[in-house]
Amino acid sequence: MKALQRFSYPIFFVIMALIPHLLNPRWQAVSITFLIFAVVALSQDIILGKSGMFNMGQALFFGMGAYTTAILNSHFGWPIIATIPMAILIPALFGVVLAGPIVHLRGDYLLVVTIGFNIVFVQVLQNNLGGLTGGPNGIFGLGSLSIFGLNLTSQVAVYYFAFIVFLLTLWIMHNLEKSKAGRALHYLREDQLAAESIGINTRSYKIFAFGLGAGIAGLAGTVFAVQYSAVSPEAFEFIQSVLFFSIVLVGGSSVPGILLGVFVMFVLPEIFREFATWRYFIFGFAMILSMILRPRGIWPATFGKIPKFLIKESKHGA
Amino acid sequence: MDIFLQQLANGLTIGSIFALVALGYTMVYGVMRLINFAHGDMVAASAFVGLTVYTQVMGQATSLFSVIVIFLLTASVMACVGVLLERLAYRPLRDAPRLSAVVSALGASLVIQNGIMLIWGPRMQIFPELVPQVYWDLGGVVISLIQVIILALSLVLMVGLYLFIEKTRMGAAVRASSIDQDAARLMGINVNSVIALIFIIGSSLGAIGGLFIGMYYRGITFNMGWQYGLYAFIAAIIGGIGNIPGAMMGGMLLGLFNAFIAGYISSTWADAFTFILLILILIVRPTGILGERVAEKV
Repeated sequence: MKALQRFSYPIFFVIMALIPHLLNPRWQAVSITFLIFAVVALSQDIILGKSGMFNMGQALFFGMGAYTTAILNSHFGWPIIATIPMAILIPALFGVVLAGPIVHLRGDYLLVVTIGFNIVFVQVLQNNLGGLTGGPNGIFGLGSLSIFGLNLTSQVAVYYFAFIVFLLTLWIMHNLEKSKAGRALHYLREDQLAAESIGINTRSYKIFAFGLGAGIAGLAGTVFAVQYSAVSPEAFEFIQSVLFFSIVLVGGSSVPGILLGVFVMFVLPEIFREFATWRYFIFGFAMILSMILRPRGIWPATFGKIPKFLIKESKHGA
Repeated sequence: MDIFLQQLANGLTIGSIFALVALGYTMVYGVMRLINFAHGDMVAASAFVGLTVYTQVMGQATSLFSVIVIFLLTASVMACVGVLLERLAYRPLRDAPRLSAVVSALGASLVIQNGIMLIWGPRMQIFPELVPQVYWDLGGVVISLIQVIILALSLVLMVGLYLFIEKTRMGAAVRASSIDQDAARLMGINVNSVIALIFIIGSSLGAIGGLFIGMYYRGITFNMGWQYGLYAFIAAIIGGIGNIPGAMMGGMLLGLFNAFIAGYISSTWADAFTFILLILILIVRPTGILGERVAEKV
């Protein structure tokens, strides 16, 4: 079991790196989708799972990144690669600004307010604010990704772009867990009062988590815009946020659990296409059942290297 | 002035529907501290159940008797669904972490919403005209019979619920359970039956709200539950969640607010303004207008 755990990540990475050469274009596209949504789900995990803030509006930051890339590319003629920093910074900035006045709200209130942000965002997109967002149809016909004169139009190239973003996200999350900020977030999730009393500035750490999660989701948005060379409001509807929210909690806020959740939510429907109309009906049942059988998620996260005898079961947190 | 009075009438109508639905949210939240995400979809389902009762049971009759049967039958069916929902999806998670119950509620919402789609199809259905189209023109303001019925019946139901909660022993049990479940249990209150009771009441009121939505807007779709559910939930929060008069007031306020936004600004921005209002209220009064300050464990 130990050996399996030790080798499972390298094996997973090798398989993921080889996958585009083994699949036909349709499944390459599915794998790119998997990577994009995995990054968004992991960014949601930073806010919801790691910091314990009930955020149900992650599609907002995802969409903001995608739209930043699309608007800068189509209206202002920026090359895609140059839009990436903006697609990270603008959602991150919005994450900080939006989180500022609301992070003190108790769980369920925060949840409703973040739903609200998501819905307002989609309404802004649909009403074509400032003539930039293209209304209900969105923006299409975006340019393709090119670095140093190399034109990366093929599916395989986009896959590796998505894969790099995915690895970067995993690396950030790995470092976050080992850093001061990660420990602070963990404590404030477990017990905010205790965290505050040992001198953790909970407010700024919460805002930091929102900014970080939003920035990563924004980067995933750029990959999304590149992959489909189009963006439209319905891809960032509130139902998407609900799916990311559920994936993190059903997965148990651990990387394998979340990847499993993304796989079940976005890849399985591609395999069982004839059951498309039953998709959400079955997912709904699966969500209820998995919570009843495993209330802490299918693959509950463990934090750092804490000796077993020190861990006490508590009712707090996710 | 005409626009004002017209939107006042429309707003009160929508507001009383919001209030009926909001009561279901606020009672469940009050006792279980759980956002029952499935409630909005139950409201949508009841419009479809009402439609089926109309076509299958009543043979498309639109007499007063038929309307009464449709209301009673739909409300009882939804009350059963509500109790079943609580048994299957929420009771096993009562001692689990709070977010697990939230995910279960979201799952239940997906099941009900897509269940409607699988049974009645994904397309919009037209709800029957149960009440004759009678309009009164009161000096520029047009009020329809259906608006009067919605407003009057909602008021009767809300006053009835208020009296039930405030004046009866069972109402006292509900209030006690929402203050402190464990203490209520120690006082000999059967909290399980209180929870079953609030699901019966909440689901029946929601069912009536759903039938009103069908009668007032006529077009019903399987996914309309999210929209009405979210508005009703916002109404419950504005009034102070867990607070029954608060939900009634919040619903009315939100209905009026929406009607005036639609009348004076633009209905395409109604959602945005509603959420801005909610966020402002939460920043100024985090527990809603009538909500008392609760000392909750952090």
